[in-house]
Amino acid sequence: MTTKKQYAHLHILWMCIFFNFSCSVDKEASPDQAYVFVKPDNFPEPTYTFQNNPVTKDGFELGKKLFFDPTLSRDGSVSCNNCHIQGTAFADSQQHPLSVGVNDQRGIRNAPSLVNLAFMEEFFWDGGVTHLDFVPINAIESDFEMDETLANVVKKLNADPVYLELFNSAFGIDKITSPYLLHALSQFTVMMVSSNSKYDKHMRGEGETLTSEELEGMEIFSSKCGSCHSGELFSDFSFRNNGINDVFSDIGRAGISEFDGDVGKFRVPSLRNVALTSPYMHNAKFNTLEEVLDHYENGVIDSPSLDEELKNGSQLGIPLSEQEKEKVIAFLKTLTDREFISDTRFMNR
Amino acid sequence: MKKLLLALIATIVLFSSCEENGEENPETFGTFQLEFDNVVGSQNMSLSDPGSGDYMYTTDSGEPFNLTLFGYYISKIKLEGPNGELYEDEVNVSANADEVKGYYHVLESNASSRFITLDDVPAGSYNKVTFTVGVEEDGVQEGAAGGVLDPAEGAWFWNWNAGYIGFAMEGGAQNSGQEEVVGDGWTIHEHSFSFHVGGWKDVEPAEGEDQKFVNNVKTVTLDFDSNVSVAENLSPNAHIIVDALKILDGVGVDFSTTYSVHAPKLGQPFAEFIPDTFILDHIHQ
Repeated sequence: MTTKKQYAHLHILWMCIFFNFSCSVDKEASPDQAYVFVKPDNFPEPTYTFQNNPVTKDGFELGKKLFFDPTLSRDGSVSCNNCHIQGTAFADSQQHPLSVGVNDQRGIRNAPSLVNLAFMEEFFWDGGVTHLDFVPINAIESDFEMDETLANVVKKLNADPVYLELFNSAFGIDKITSPYLLHALSQFTVMMVSSNSKYDKHMRGEGETLTSEELEGMEIFSSKCGSCHSGELFSDFSFRNNGINDVFSDIGRAGISEFDGDVGKFRVPSLRNVALTSPYMHNAKFNTLEEVLDHYENGVIDSPSLDEELKNGSQLGIPLSEQEKEKVIAFLKTLTDREFISDTRFMNR
Repeated sequence: MKKLLLALIATIVLFSSCEENGEENPETFGTFQLEFDNVVGSQNMSLSDPGSGDYMYTTDSGEPFNLTLFGYYISKIKLEGPNGELYEDEVNVSANADEVKGYYHVLESNASSRFITLDDVPAGSYNKVTFTVGVEEDGVQEGAAGGVLDPAEGAWFWNWNAGYIGFAMEGGAQNSGQEEVVGDGWTIHEHSFSFHVGGWKDVEPAEGEDQKFVNNVKTVTLDFDSNVSVAENLSPNAHIIVDALKILDGVGVDFSTTYSVHAPKLGQPFAEFIPDTFILDHIHQ
């Protein structure tokens, strides 16, 4: 009796392993699984309100269509995809250090990568938006981004029989309203989970091993960068002044907190896919990871809100030798997720 | 011990629910109506056209002004009675406008919005109403919402610092320092003013740090001067006066310097006077 039970357990175990394996290898094999949000084992709990907006295939595909559709902008020239490109982990292209909106208007900040939004509590460089659903309104209505009104986007969508049908399939509604537009976009973006980098596979024991240089880089990174770029998302998502300036035409977090001590503070970005998301910093100040590390080593500029973590020694910044920088960069490159940037679910086809 | 306690609690819960079910008279319900009557001191409120130079009202300090927009969100309405009666209006946020419950956008420009009728109020005696002016964190953090919370259908929403404007008044004032600004399809009129009170984040400051963020969502409690009865055939109405002057005079507004309020901290002095602005005038039994 006992033996039989044990065998039964073993069978279930094997089935689990088999299914897991088949899913991760070939998402096309079980189409429904491709639209299920899965928290990677090494990630924190998601923050998104899935109970109000469960992801479905129809909702995700509708969100994708909207993401790539320039009708969201006033003159039909700018889509979400203009500033958020899959090849750069849904950050902007290097040709757009600052976002470019309708009439080629220049934005004030570098468009950030959209990966792993499901796990974040605040959005944008200043954290002014606290729910993923509300993120697109900023881009749609900003006069130097899409320069459109949410109400007019809804009006245009309601005049389009294709969209009426797609919204009906996804949400069972006959008239499109803005919360459903925002829910569809969230269903698309919330699925942008990047968790299959070399680093992840090393950590989860999935057949990849970091080289000794990368491992040393990880060690240095965790002792010298890990107080801000902490956890599996490589950010504590706090707001800090990292010494890239001492005059702040863009006050950053202080615009939201209305607290003078926050002038010049911006969100600590996640470093996942960081090798793909050049240029760096909210104002696109640096083009390469080398420049970024040189900044932390000897370029930090003092100002009243400069982060305490950068004031440890006799010199501002973080002591880093050239060899250490190389190793850290080797490690940062292991955070690149090639499966994510080639995931066909996110492609416009 | 714990198990024993649990069993005890379960027994009590079961017993008391049985008792309720076994009552001879099933519970009956009635309606209760809140009527919001916007005024400016002793005058009725009437809205002017934007840009109008006709100033029909005067602040305590003698500043002439008019109003072109006046309104607020009311939410989380609660009625209480002398014998523990309690009615809490259902509150729900949903993308589906029909499922948005308990949030009301009262606008002077929309007469029907000034009447809130609560259905299914258990029959009984009530002597107090409590409500929230604005939309609290739990209303914002559920995500995109329909109905009166849909920004594409007139909801008052801040994109850049996401959340709802809880209380707003706009108008013109003779002494307003506002200069004319003409944009693409919009105009800010000379001598206009715009006071938008929003902000919901409640963040305790760290030790030794100043307060960051401002929560301008306010709760108002109004006591009735006598008990009123709700029953199947009794539908009382609370007539609530909302006096714009209480805010303007409370703040001691000087339109020459204060004419554009569009951030939580600037709105804080206005929010402080929101509870004084709502006054129970009388109750119709």
